[in-house]
Amino acid sequence: MKDLAKDLMEELNCETVFTIPIFGGIDVSESVVVTWIIMAVLVLVAIILTRNMRIDHISKRQAFAEMIVTKLTGMVEGMIGPNGRAYVPYLTTVLLYIGVSNIIGLFGFKSPTKDLNVTIALAVMSIVLVEAAGIYHLGVKKWLHKFTEPIAIVTPINILEVFTRPLSLCMRLFGNVLGAFVIMELIKMIVPVILPAVFSLYFDIFDGLLQAYVFVFLTSLYISEEIEE
Amino acid sequence: MSTLIAIGAGIAVLGALGAGIGIGIATGKAAEAIARQPEAEGKINKTLILGCALAEATAIYGFVIALMIIVMLK
Repeated sequence: MKDLAKDLMEELNCETVFTIPIFGGIDVSESVVVTWIIMAVLVLVAIILTRNMRIDHISKRQAFAEMIVTKLTGMVEGMIGPNGRAYVPYLTTVLLYIGVSNIIGLFGFKSPTKDLNVTIALAVMSIVLVEAAGIYHLGVKKWLHKFTEPIAIVTPINILEVFTRPLSLCMRLFGNVLGAFVIMELIKMIVPVILPAVFSLYFDIFDGLLQAYVFVFLTSLYISEEIEE
Repeated sequence: MSTLIAIGAGIAVLGALGAGIGIGIATGKAAEAIARQPEAEGKINKTLILGCALAEATAIYGFVIALMIIVMLK
């Protein structure tokens, strides 16, 4: 039990890998490095899949790439509605990034989403996008007026929502990834063979992808709510 | 002191109660809906899984707070 507590502490702390020696030293933590690895993998896959694209006589590779893009953008577009088509590429990127980073724990890396700073950054990006979309589509006046809807007395709650939404987004993602990790560690401690593989299917793969979906779903829900007249 | 911390963490995890009740009700309703309209099973399943993931959040908050109590106060 003492070992587990120590392991947990180690996993909660995100250690610094190296320091960039400019501006008095910028710490680069482990989650940033893993994020770079994910970026490299995703960019490499994208480059390989989109090489030599043609209009007719498409190759199998191109058909595969087209299928992925159509499926993902169709899914996100179904959530955000036709008005928010401009936000689909961003949301699809976030979906891919969170999905890959949640299951990269299987390959021996530490999931970036297990670092609270990463999920906070993602949530802040989401809420900035939501409010910016509101201002862009409605104009400042209407956007401000939206805080007093449906009646003036709920204005404090509406303002509070700007802060609670990113908080709940980041805590949900972080807590799910961390919770899955802790439960997997406990299972591995009790039964080290076979059983962890079965549970890993649910906790690592299914739950990880589901949380990526939920994050994007909620962000697109907020956006579509914000941009409607 | 450690006993008190353990009790506090245990109380924080009580938040899982709400998630259990919520997911139970949602699953019951989904079963009813599928019984009524078996052809809509795919859509209902999708909504159910999404709803469960959202309802789970309260339990997760409880878990995170319990963990924080243990880690911060130790």
